[in-house]
Amino acid sequence: MTTQPRHAGLAIFATLYWLLTALLAAAVTVMTLYWTPVEQSMGPVQKIFYLHLPSAINTLLAAFIVFVASIGYLLQRKSAWDDLAAAAARSAAVFGAIVLITGMIWGKAAWGQWWTWSPRLTFSLVLWLLYVVYLIIRPSVEGEHRRALVCAVYGIVAFLDVPLVWLSARLMPDIHPGSIQLEPEMKLTLLAAFVPVTLAALGLTVTGWRLAASRRRKLADHAELEAQTA
Amino acid sequence: MTLLKQLWLLTAKDLRIEARTRQTLGLIVVLGLLIVVVLGLGLGPEQLNQSLAAPAALWVAYLFGGVLCFEKTMAVERHDAALAGLLMAPVDRGVIYLAKLLSNLILMFALAAIVTPIAVTMLSFDLSPAPGGFAAVMALAMIGYAALGTLFSAPVSATRLKGGLLAVIVLPIALPLVIVSTQLLLAMFRDQVPLTGTGLAILLACDAIYLVVSWLLFELVLEP
Repeated sequence: MTTQPRHAGLAIFATLYWLLTALLAAAVTVMTLYWTPVEQSMGPVQKIFYLHLPSAINTLLAAFIVFVASIGYLLQRKSAWDDLAAAAARSAAVFGAIVLITGMIWGKAAWGQWWTWSPRLTFSLVLWLLYVVYLIIRPSVEGEHRRALVCAVYGIVAFLDVPLVWLSARLMPDIHPGSIQLEPEMKLTLLAAFVPVTLAALGLTVTGWRLAASRRRKLADHAELEAQTA
Repeated sequence: MTLLKQLWLLTAKDLRIEARTRQTLGLIVVLGLLIVVVLGLGLGPEQLNQSLAAPAALWVAYLFGGVLCFEKTMAVERHDAALAGLLMAPVDRGVIYLAKLLSNLILMFALAAIVTPIAVTMLSFDLSPAPGGFAAVMALAMIGYAALGTLFSAPVSATRLKGGLLAVIVLPIALPLVIVSTQLLLAMFRDQVPLTGTGLAILLACDAIYLVVSWLLFELVLEP
């Protein structure tokens, strides 16, 4: 009896959440384009940094959630952990793709090439590949339990791989500029940009998690109904 | 029975099966040779003359040969429910992991011993500046790769896709090993820089992490 009002409340919360995220994203875009000064050495293309860095941090956060949820599944064998890991992996893949694309746009503007095997680009590519592969292997493994098991082991090893990828990529020759000096307005814009990007990443993960849980509930109800009618 | 004795018995069992059937080593050596031939033909004489193609070709051969190797050594346990029998035996699952790892490593080192001299000759690669460094880098990278492959071969061997899926899973995770070893080989053979401690330390760190994590997780993923 209480599920209908609860569902309606959650739907309103979700709508407000995404509305707030969109408004904040619009505000940060305006701030980036019209208020933040243009960086001298890189020019206007440097503004891509305000999307690039928060996306990179959120990719790592999503990867960490996959890691924790994978450990949770191996310890408790509950499907909710597997659903959370899958939803977080989807966020990692989406935000990893944003990091990669913005990095390539920056690279084209800075060095005239879409791709160079520099440590940071290689790291972004391998990180993205790790979580895209996670999503690809999910439908390839038959059986719910075995799928969750393979993915949990993969999720743990993939996260432990992240520092190793970073260390190994540092052996490659680097043409990236050193650290960029940021004006106070730039720092403020960067901090502000973290808010909508983090909200979007969290929203994507939680929405994916809830969808998987609701799909699982519907399948269970359907199976129960079939068993009753048989 | 001591752990070492158990380890030896399980490894010897795998090697005995391989000696009787000769299915894995023959397959991975032929695959390795085909990869070297295809890359040699594809690169052509001009690129081979300024060649650092051999390490790349060898890496491709080791990676794909390794996947076949991991798949076959675990598939043996799936026939006639041999794995169920093995799990009922009073043997620690960590020992089963180490035995499988050892069997896979012996087969991969055999693959390297046969394919490497052929690739070096066919792809005009001069090993003389650092033969010891080359062997050390490749051996360390193979240990890490075999540790990962052995871990994932256990759950993947029970799925329909088997080898294809195993390759998709293991190759991206093993990329740090590929990056470090290729960078070290480039430094040694192109730039004539001796083997650096940093590079070796990263390789050793990869090996240590992959070995410990795989050994810990294998117990959880091994199911009949």
